[in-house]
Amino acid sequence: MSTRALSTTATGRTSRRGRAARWPYILPAAIFLAVLSAYPLVQLVRMSVSAVSSRTLRDPWEFTGLDNLMRGIESGDTGAALLRTLIFVTIVFTVGMIGGLAAALALRGRRGSSGFLLALMVFVWALPPVVNGSVWKFLLGDAGLFNELARTVGLTDTAIPFLYDQHLSLISVALVNSWAVVPFNALVFRAALMGIPPEVIEAAKLDGASAWQEIVHILVPSVRATAVVLSVLTVVYAFRSFDFIYVMTYGGPGTSTVTLPFLAYLQAFVRYDFGLGAATSIVAGALVIVLAIAYARNVRKEEAA
Amino acid sequence: MEHTPRTSRLRFLALLPASALLLAGCATDQGESDSTTLTVWHYFSEDTQVGVMTAYEEMFEASHPDVDVENVFVPYDQYTSKLIAGVGSATGPDVVVFNGGEASTLALAGTLAPMTEYWDSFADAGQFPDGVVHRIDGEVYMAQGYVNLLGLWYNQDILTEIGVEVPTTVDELTAAMEAAKQAGYEGITLSGLSQGQGEWQAYPWLSASGFTWDNLDEAGLTAGYELVKSWVDAGYLSGESATWDQTVPFQRFAAGGVAFAENGNWQQGTAASTAEFEYGVAALPIGDGGQVYLGGEAEGIGAFSENPDLAWEYLSETFYSAEGQLASLEGSGTIPSRLDVAEDEGVTGNPLLAGFAESVARNGANYPPANALPESVSDLQLLGGQMWSSVISGQLSPADAAAQLIEGVQPFLR
Repeated sequence: MSTRALSTTATGRTSRRGRAARWPYILPAAIFLAVLSAYPLVQLVRMSVSAVSSRTLRDPWEFTGLDNLMRGIESGDTGAALLRTLIFVTIVFTVGMIGGLAAALALRGRRGSSGFLLALMVFVWALPPVVNGSVWKFLLGDAGLFNELARTVGLTDTAIPFLYDQHLSLISVALVNSWAVVPFNALVFRAALMGIPPEVIEAAKLDGASAWQEIVHILVPSVRATAVVLSVLTVVYAFRSFDFIYVMTYGGPGTSTVTLPFLAYLQAFVRYDFGLGAATSIVAGALVIVLAIAYARNVRKEEAA
Repeated sequence: MEHTPRTSRLRFLALLPASALLLAGCATDQGESDSTTLTVWHYFSEDTQVGVMTAYEEMFEASHPDVDVENVFVPYDQYTSKLIAGVGSATGPDVVVFNGGEASTLALAGTLAPMTEYWDSFADAGQFPDGVVHRIDGEVYMAQGYVNLLGLWYNQDILTEIGVEVPTTVDELTAAMEAAKQAGYEGITLSGLSQGQGEWQAYPWLSASGFTWDNLDEAGLTAGYELVKSWVDAGYLSGESATWDQTVPFQRFAAGGVAFAENGNWQQGTAASTAEFEYGVAALPIGDGGQVYLGGEAEGIGAFSENPDLAWEYLSETFYSAEGQLASLEGSGTIPSRLDVAEDEGVTGNPLLAGFAESVARNGANYPPANALPESVSDLQLLGGQMWSSVISGQLSPADAAAQLIEGVQPFLR
């Protein structure tokens, strides 16, 4: 046997031993995931193809195939909620990404005020959505701060119907949701910006680059990889958003802010049609899974690079 | 003496039986001295209602010194989900206090124990009208200790200032709101939330226009929706009401500056503690054809109660007893469901309750509607609330909302 062959065999054995040694460490997490993620997901899929209501929840579930999905589509509820969800996601994505990058650029220095603002952003990010949503509901009310300001500057005599106009309500809730995601995006963008070597920026300054050119030609391209990952996370976050809608509008007025996750909630936990709610959740989940795959591919590509 | 690992081990082993005996003795003592806990789930957050629950707890503990009543607050929105989730693990409270309109949902989900035997042998069962006893498939599952309903609250100071009488017709109400608006006041507050609370508040106006659940008159429904839309367009009612539950509009009324509020008898405590003006309650001006749901919380025994007999004793001595109903009347202004207690001077001599009592007699309607399929009550309530909210916010025209409701509600009715 050659030395090379011996070495390869030894390496292979070590590698196998190493892999075997990993299992005890991986196993708890794997069991945890299987119990808390995989099992409920399997049940959700089963429920989505079965007739399950509060009356039949305890009985064996009758298989009905795609009946639940078709009921949702034929009623028009799923299509309308999907459209609202796409509008909602577009707003949260656009404002969340641009706002996050802008905040990160503004806070990239090490001034004292930056530290204070960062702490404030972490506070906003960490606030429970229920608290956040309740405060914003108050601020956007007829007698709230924003309407008082609008009246003071002469923008309106009465009140801007932030939360009870059929179009404005969806935009308002999406903007509040964006406001809650900006701090997280800003913190991630800032970490990426802090990783840019100072010499690069100094060189650009020596070459006479303006602040705007510095941002457009050096800073933004440098955080491109981070932006791609963050954009997927932001879209997934927006897609599964539920709590702000629950607190601020309860899907109303009418059905103006009923997005896919909220529709699934109404179907499953207000109407107790668990099969229908599960089918709607599957539609929303499928869209998120597509994005999750895109995210995973991107991470792998970045790691390979 | 030398302490070796071996002697330590022997000592430890020798101590084991003694420790076990000691622990067993403690456990026996503990078991003998332990009181039985009776868990009561409710969703009350108003001080007056919580006060009644505490009064019931004290009443029952006084007559049952070995029982510890534990009142547990569960938020309304999570209540049903928690109960249904408990079915899988065969757990739940001993006593369930929940919206009577959803009794069928709870019973069909297996969260309630039938209490027909208890009810049939209850000496005072005859004091309860049929409308407050919830039967599903012939079994009694819940009964109401009181009735809640809507009335027209009015700000007497504003009415005096604008020189109008308490309205008795929709036209008079509209004229009064116009006068209030001209004087710089808001006309009316009500709930337009896109769920059951909105549906509950919509029904009196819709039924006054000719629509009822057993007479799906589209023209009448359209007229009812047009009425409330005209109030919004004229500025009598804020469009913001499309996002209000029943608490917010009453707080707004109690703060002053609003002539009327469509709200319930359970708000008496809030009115007394908040309103700094003279106020009163009249029957909703919806004529003889209009209907007002007779709602209120119903009480039943949890399906997995380990002490159903004790749970029944609690119910019969608190919610269903004359003494208990009077305590609730005094504590939070509820209208007793027992016929004998309804004749009490606390009811007949209370001017605020007179308006509600008039509504019960003239416009009282079953809640949920008698022709609603038990498993579809929630669907009906949600659809009704969504259409009401859509009209108030302008998402749908009255005619479109009426057409959608008529079409959508068909599968939910017998």
